[in-house]
Amino acid sequence: MSGFRRMAQRWRGAGFATVLLVILIAVNLLLNPTRFHPSAWGALIGLAAPLIGAALASAPVILAGRGGIDISVGPLMGFVNAIVIQLLFLKLGMSSPLVIVPAALLIGAIVGAANGFLATIVRIQPIVATLGTYLILTGMTLTILPAPIGPAPGWLKAMAGPWSAVPLALIFLFWWLVRQTPYYDQLMAVGSDDRAAYTAGVPVTKVRFIAYVMTGILAACAGLMLTALIGSADPNIGPTYTLIAIAAVALGGVSLAGGRGGLAGAAIGAIDIFLLQSVLTAFNVSTYVLQIAYGVILVVAVIMTALQERLSGRKG
Amino acid sequence: MADRATLSVRGLMVAPGASPVTQTIAPGEIVGLAGLDGHGQERFLKVLAGLEQPAGGGVTIDAPTGARAVTSFRKAVASGIAYLPRDRRATGIFPTQSVLDNFAVSTLSRDRRFGLLSFAARRRRYKAYREKLSIVAPRPDASITTLSGGNQQKVLLARALALEPAVLLLNDPTRGVDVATRHVLYDVFRELAADGMALVILSSEIEEILLLCHRVLVFREQQVAAEITGEDMKSDTVIAAMFGRAA
Repeated sequence: MSGFRRMAQRWRGAGFATVLLVILIAVNLLLNPTRFHPSAWGALIGLAAPLIGAALASAPVILAGRGGIDISVGPLMGFVNAIVIQLLFLKLGMSSPLVIVPAALLIGAIVGAANGFLATIVRIQPIVATLGTYLILTGMTLTILPAPIGPAPGWLKAMAGPWSAVPLALIFLFWWLVRQTPYYDQLMAVGSDDRAAYTAGVPVTKVRFIAYVMTGILAACAGLMLTALIGSADPNIGPTYTLIAIAAVALGGVSLAGGRGGLAGAAIGAIDIFLLQSVLTAFNVSTYVLQIAYGVILVVAVIMTALQERLSGRKG
Repeated sequence: MADRATLSVRGLMVAPGASPVTQTIAPGEIVGLAGLDGHGQERFLKVLAGLEQPAGGGVTIDAPTGARAVTSFRKAVASGIAYLPRDRRATGIFPTQSVLDNFAVSTLSRDRRFGLLSFAARRRRYKAYREKLSIVAPRPDASITTLSGGNQQKVLLARALALEPAVLLLNDPTRGVDVATRHVLYDVFRELAADGMALVILSSEIEEILLLCHRVLVFREQQVAAEITGEDMKSDTVIAAMFGRAA
């Protein structure tokens, strides 16, 4: 009983997104049984992975509260994509995962640290600070890689095929470990109320800074998943992920005010958007209408989450 | 219980130009701070907690292990000073978090087992304080906002006590708390003092100070206008000092 309640408590924020997930899976199975057949799951997850990764990456800074947001997640994915293919693979001829993965994660950590420095130590508003990083990264990506180029190493492409669940599983394992450390509680406390966190002895600036670094590292993972999916480098795809990832996070019940929600919710939100896309394309709906549908779903989801909270009698 | 410690305030100026305060707060003592709102008693308490810088002078904590200056909030916490904030809603509770998370936030690393957190250990720690303070909460994982004001305050007190401080600073701890809970809190404060903790209580209610404290510092115009002890601890004398009249 208490276990069930605890589950209900945990999923309450993502409640609407979970209901939507079940409906969308059912509709997709009806419309397109071959595409959703278990034998196709590898490719299917690979197709959804960059969006899920981008949503997961966006979550930590949003959880940290006080307007925390990182809109440079998309361009960072594109930047990692360009560096990995153009510089490491084609120019330097390095294809080993033991070089490419650490290099990508290091780039992510550095960009995340730069964002964290601007947003938490220099105290520029996060949206402005990361807008700066957004533009810088977009420009740098286009400088390194003016036009799409390929291919990608074979092992990386397999990460969008049969092994597509591996990177996501690793991210969840990482987050599960984070949740077992004092840092997670501090992050949620800071996101919930930073003044109270300070009075409770939580090192607020440090906690937020680490959130930006984590976002950077996760965005680099998403960049690798994007590279795996497209099997090449393309300077124009990355930035398109930023806004849709934030939509996925909000849809998944992560409060943009911070301190509420989690990575599971963000992932569900991203899967919802992916499945919705899949349903609408099955009906041959134009991409313009797709955008309208995203917007409507997002607004409805946020309203539903707010209603749910009000109905469950929260005072906070 | 942590080591006993004495809080020494030397030549502390709450505001520029105010006459300095020198006080020694011994283990087992309950000292009350009174005054009309904004007359410096809250600033004094925050200086003791390291949250605000004084205009002059300083605070040291003398423990058996040696004396340490309290110059920042972090140092204060590390030296065994715990502070319970006044505005529960604005600077106390985390409304999105559970009772258990609210309790544990100041003492997260104590539940570590081999580097990772043990939630069972945290639950056990919470349970001890729940009994001690008779916190009425349905479940430890319920949202803190489902609790009454008095019980939220008890959770915050449990959070401060979990640090096992030598000195406990309380900023109007019974504000917006029902009468029954108040008396539970009074008993807890007396027990803590009997165990050797030094307590400083700022209260907006004179009756409360008279009931609890061994002595009271009355603030007026950013300085200690009167220190009242023993027989003189009556509401008339305190009120007179608050308004700057001779009793």
